[in-house]
Amino acid sequence: MRIVIGLLNGMLAGATPVLLAALGGAFTFYAGVFNIAMEGMLLAGAFCAALGSFFSGSWVIGVLCAIAGALSLSVLFILFAIVLKTDEFVTGIALNLFAAGATTYLLRQLFGVRGAFTDPAIQPMPRLEIPLLAQIPLAGEVLSGQNVMVYGAALAVLVCAWLIFRTPFGLRLRAAGYNAASLESSGVRPARVRIAALLICGVLCGLGGAFLSLGYVRLFAEGMSAGRGWIALAAVILVNGNPWGVALITLVFGLADGLGLLAQGLNVPAQFTGMAPYLATLIALFVYARRKSRARSGSSIQA
Amino acid sequence: MNGQKLLAALAGIALALSIGALVLLIEGRSPLDVYAALVALSIGDVDKAAITIKNAVPLILTGLSASLAFASGPINLGQPGQFLMGALAVTLVGITVDLPAPLMIPLLMIAAAAGGALWAGAAAVLRHVFNMSEFIVTLMLNSIADLFTAWLITIGGPLAEAGALSPRSPAITSSGRLGEIGVFNLSILVMALVAVAIWYVFHRTRPGYEWRIAGQNALFARLGGCPVDRNFFIVMLLSGALAGLAGGLLVMSGPYRFIRGIGANYAWDGVMIAVVANSALGATVLYGLFFAALQTGALGMELLTAVPSEFIQVLQAVIVLVSVASRGYLSVLLDRLTLRRLSRPSPNRT
Repeated sequence: MRIVIGLLNGMLAGATPVLLAALGGAFTFYAGVFNIAMEGMLLAGAFCAALGSFFSGSWVIGVLCAIAGALSLSVLFILFAIVLKTDEFVTGIALNLFAAGATTYLLRQLFGVRGAFTDPAIQPMPRLEIPLLAQIPLAGEVLSGQNVMVYGAALAVLVCAWLIFRTPFGLRLRAAGYNAASLESSGVRPARVRIAALLICGVLCGLGGAFLSLGYVRLFAEGMSAGRGWIALAAVILVNGNPWGVALITLVFGLADGLGLLAQGLNVPAQFTGMAPYLATLIALFVYARRKSRARSGSSIQA
Repeated sequence: MNGQKLLAALAGIALALSIGALVLLIEGRSPLDVYAALVALSIGDVDKAAITIKNAVPLILTGLSASLAFASGPINLGQPGQFLMGALAVTLVGITVDLPAPLMIPLLMIAAAAGGALWAGAAAVLRHVFNMSEFIVTLMLNSIADLFTAWLITIGGPLAEAGALSPRSPAITSSGRLGEIGVFNLSILVMALVAVAIWYVFHRTRPGYEWRIAGQNALFARLGGCPVDRNFFIVMLLSGALAGLAGGLLVMSGPYRFIRGIGANYAWDGVMIAVVANSALGATVLYGLFFAALQTGALGMELLTAVPSEFIQVLQAVIVLVSVASRGYLSVLLDRLTLRRLSRPSPNRT
């Protein structure tokens, strides 16, 4: 039973940053923006969270700084890809490089360290004890006492699903990606919708980044996003952006993370357990490709 | 490179350097001193230029790997992983085989190319058989290669040097090492030959023509009778081989062994160079040299001016963004000017 609880906790911790970034990616996916800058946005968020928390001594300020940091990348994306009409793929690649370079440079400039920065003055995000849930035997240990951001991510799924499927904004958002010309003919500028989607993506990636540096650790390390933005992108592509699907698939990736941690306890080298989320992504891609090719061959028989 | 492209490239670099200068000014440093140090320490004299060109070898080869793939269709973002597998292959062969240098060096190069091609080929097979997007597969394979090689050389790992205090493999045999001719490392010669060969195949042969057509319009290539699937495979293998060779040459000309973080500095540089060069092979070589000069000058710049060498990473990213944006924007601007000129009533007509 201990093992299962540990596994579930590891799953939630592993899934949270990917889920938040992937929800952000869902907005840009629906808006028809090929946004591959989530990796850089997570990294910028993680750095700014550690920075804000260190200087203010408050994790709330840290989270706000993380949002501001990731949003600044969104603004750059908007400037280059939407205003100046630079290729979106190129903009994304350049912004990821920019985030990696800028965080490394600032780490050196502001804190005078290379590699990683950790300090007791960095205030981590607290855990949240939920009064009634905590009393449930066993399940209470998973449902209650998680990091604030884990609950934040769960809430974000609900809010995103509502925004995308139940509001006029969501309708315009989906129209911007599905058929921008008809959206434009109804008097809404697709570019504005895309800008809004990128800003929302920045906010969500900022939250995900803050979880990386202030969640279970209190440090910032170079390249600490470690491909999570890419895994988030894969998740978005796999479920065509649907927030419920995103939640489900990132939990699967989180489970792989948790299994990795578990295997580490069984003396499997850390390098192999570290491969778990990437292998899980490959397997998910494989399953998706199989399903799609079967669907295609099915329809061709009908036709 | 025609005039307009050259103008856009120079304008982009000038603009990016001005942005960098602005950052330095805000921090209270003198941009002129910093840039002068960068130039002096990268191409100031023949010795430094030789080091810059040697450092350009992995940048140019990974850049060519990305450019070749992007210009032919496949989105191969797996240069970091293919680079590591090439370096690993050279290390494995280099510590187990010992032949005279004229045999050993070609053998190691083949091993490097094969290592990279194998890793890219895995992605190509997954794409071909299961229709899995090579874009994400190559990215995931990067992380897996990184962790796998880290495990091999970790202290006490299967490929670790006995008694070493840091994660590293044993050294490769001395006959497999690339020395210098004068001040220039032999890997430069290899890189130059490979670059010319790739350019020739891409621009002057029938397969190269088919790849270019497929890169511009895959449907047209298919309808025109090009074996699109086979070409996809060949381009992926070739692209992987180039990245693998970059890793192999680095081991053969530098540390002579696999050390932790050997590919870290080149992780995204290949894709970055391909992106600024707009996947043109000639421009890839030029930008590779340019970025190598920046990176080589950076360390000396830190000693002379106390500006952290990491400044160059920011500068590089700014150069990529600004020069790509200015390339697009300049062509829009020029089109608009041409239109205005044409729409103006001509005085001859009445």
